[in-house]
Amino acid sequence: MLELFVYLLCGSILVSGFLAIYLDSTLAAAVSGGLASLFAAVCYVMLGAPDVAMTEASIGSGLSVLVFLYAIRRTAG
Amino acid sequence: MAENILIIAAILILIGVALGVLRLVIGRTVIDRVAAVDMLTVVSISLIALYAHVGGRAIYLDVALVYGVLSFLAVLAIARYLEQGL
Repeated sequence: MLELFVYLLCGSILVSGFLAIYLDSTLAAAVSGGLASLFAAVCYVMLGAPDVAMTEASIGSGLSVLVFLYAIRRTAG
Repeated sequence: MAENILIIAAILILIGVALGVLRLVIGRTVIDRVAAVDMLTVVSISLIALYAHVGGRAIYLDVALVYGVLSFLAVLAIARYLEQGL
């Protein structure tokens, strides 16, 4: 049962990565990149590394999306 | 009895992740995708809490706590961006 969750999360990481590459809107691409890092953090918890997951959730999913939004606003908008 | 409840919760989380990713893929506007990301964060928190119970490790609940706080922050930043405020 838990291996099924790991496979589902890995597939979701792949889907989010491809969406981040192929979407036209830069905001949607930044959100998809943050989602890939969110699923990666859940995957780290499943694989038994809660400290890595906490760092990934705070920096990858929180701070990097914020920095990306700030950069998009400063350059394009 | 309790194992049946855990299995039902796992199936519901699985359906939730699948539907959220589907909404993310076919979402027409950016708002749909942001709502899908918020929902997937909540489903991920419940998945981590379920895994903390099944695996018997209470330290995983701290990860779920950090997750909840930061999902709020990320969605707030996106909302500020959409309101031309960031």
